[in-house]
Amino acid sequence: MTFQTEGARINHTPVIRRFTLPGLLLLFFLSLLLLPLFLSPLWIRIATEVLMWAGLAQSWNVIGGYTGYLSFGHGAFFGVGAYATGILMVHLGWPFGIGLFFSGVLSAFLALLIGYPTLRLRGAYFAIATWAFGELLRQVATILDITGGAYGLQLPAFLNLPFFYYIMLGVTGLTYLTIYLLLERARFGYRLLAIREHEEAAEMVGVDTVSIKIQAFALSAFFPGIIGGINAYWVTYIHPDSVLRADITDFMVVMAFLGGIGSLWGPFLGAVVVQLVQRVLWLVWGEGTFYLVIIGAAICSVVLFIPNGLIGVLEGQIFKPKEAIKELKKKVKW
Amino acid sequence: MELLFQTVIDGLLIGGLIIVVGIGFSLCFGVMHIVDFAVGEWVMLGAYLGYLLVAYFGYDPMVFLPLIFLIFCGLGWLIYPLIYRAVSGKRHNPVIMGLVFTFGLSIIAKGGALSIWGHHIKSITTWLSGKSIMLGIGTVPALRFSGFVFGILVTIIFMIFLYKTRAGIIIRATAQDRDTASLMGVDVRRTGAFVYSLYAGITGMSGVLIGSLFSIHAAMGAKYTTLAFFVVVLAGMGYVPGVIIAALVLGLLQSFVGVYVGGRYTLAALFIVMYGVLLITPKGILRRGI
Repeated sequence: MTFQTEGARINHTPVIRRFTLPGLLLLFFLSLLLLPLFLSPLWIRIATEVLMWAGLAQSWNVIGGYTGYLSFGHGAFFGVGAYATGILMVHLGWPFGIGLFFSGVLSAFLALLIGYPTLRLRGAYFAIATWAFGELLRQVATILDITGGAYGLQLPAFLNLPFFYYIMLGVTGLTYLTIYLLLERARFGYRLLAIREHEEAAEMVGVDTVSIKIQAFALSAFFPGIIGGINAYWVTYIHPDSVLRADITDFMVVMAFLGGIGSLWGPFLGAVVVQLVQRVLWLVWGEGTFYLVIIGAAICSVVLFIPNGLIGVLEGQIFKPKEAIKELKKKVKW
Repeated sequence: MELLFQTVIDGLLIGGLIIVVGIGFSLCFGVMHIVDFAVGEWVMLGAYLGYLLVAYFGYDPMVFLPLIFLIFCGLGWLIYPLIYRAVSGKRHNPVIMGLVFTFGLSIIAKGGALSIWGHHIKSITTWLSGKSIMLGIGTVPALRFSGFVFGILVTIIFMIFLYKTRAGIIIRATAQDRDTASLMGVDVRRTGAFVYSLYAGITGMSGVLIGSLFSIHAAMGAKYTTLAFFVVVLAGMGYVPGVIIAALVLGLLQSFVGVYVGGRYTLAALFIVMYGVLLITPKGILRRGI
């Protein structure tokens, strides 16, 4: 059997194809590499956060966007990674890099465990089980001794902002590269797309849907594990209400949806927009909880008005707010 | 032995109240194939509304149950068209859109409640609070008992409605087969709106009782969303009668784990049970789910 590695494009649109030209991409990557030289520490921090969220949103996109199975507990894998790295470094004294890799593997393994019973069923079961899993992990982290309970875990401090920027850039870049190669350029991506569009039909033509879905879920859990580990070492102090809080999942969902699910650049765009907006709001209003209302409203409006996200708008899907509202009024009969 | 009886009683009493949360949720899934992630938030909003009404008028919260039911029915009726719009039209995958939409709704409700009422914990006092009924084998807190009675009453009325009335037949027909039902002249969309508002009303009403039994805070929704999920997975998604047994089993399980293992392990125990059910009989313990 020969491997056919061409053509598994999920987006066929010209604008994006122009943007994925290798040259432009290289330029973009180089500018990201040089970015810390020109930025103040605050902005390096913000850029690192944007990169982190871009990676997280993209990982969610693998299972939520490409496969069409919504994971509402994906933040749990981020937390697992953070705690695994923390525990390995603090209690066992392992070096950061090995701990990081191990965190990713552990996350993927947990995804296998959760995915095995639930991915054989309809998507609703999967959404419920992942959500419950997220709730469970927060409670487990509060109970256990090894995680430091509600007090959390203190990691060895390593205050080197550019280091975290570069490692985050590396991991997020690796995430996008892996997903590009596996999902946009290989048969694997075709199979996921077939599952999303018509699962029964995919099964009929010989796709081993359950196994493929589990693989996709494990892949989508691997990267949040690693990113969570980096985050733990970066913020040096983790506790259940920080790395396992519910709104990590909320953010992943809103970023992927706002940018456009099932596309390579959608989650990146979504992460940049949401993170910058959140930063601005934070500067204007200070700490608060109102951002949750905005996230929720953003999710709902994207579903109602631009189901293909911002990337869909960029690709020429016309979006006129006035007309959309008029159409909504016409279609929604109270 | 006394502890055992007490545990059983407590479990059954809690289970009776959980039925109410699970029953509308299960019907909602059966008819519209929508998993409403905002189920716990309806409970939370109901509890807050009860709290506000009691604080403002000063009567017993039980007086307001019909009013709260009507208010939440109205809210559900207003929101349903948006959900319908989210799951219909030119969408790649309507089920996903519906799920995400209700997920967004739950975030709005949680964030709104946190912004308005903050992190303070509130509670409702009723004339039953603190009283208890002595039985030969153990004591029954009067408030929990009234919650149980409320749950059973609502369930019985609901079941009679569903199985004995014309509207109930329409709803069950729609749940069984949307397309055929609509060929027979059923307005599937209106049926959906009706079911959703009924579900919102019942769940909001149960929130008042939950709020007077336990504490009220803005983030309480997650707990009841989890419970509702466990109940429907145990019962079989969309199989309404199974909810009664599943909720009682869940109440007992929760109470036994709480007494004999420790309150913090209840969620873990519930999760293990749910995992086992999904692994062994994914259609619920009665094998009747869809």
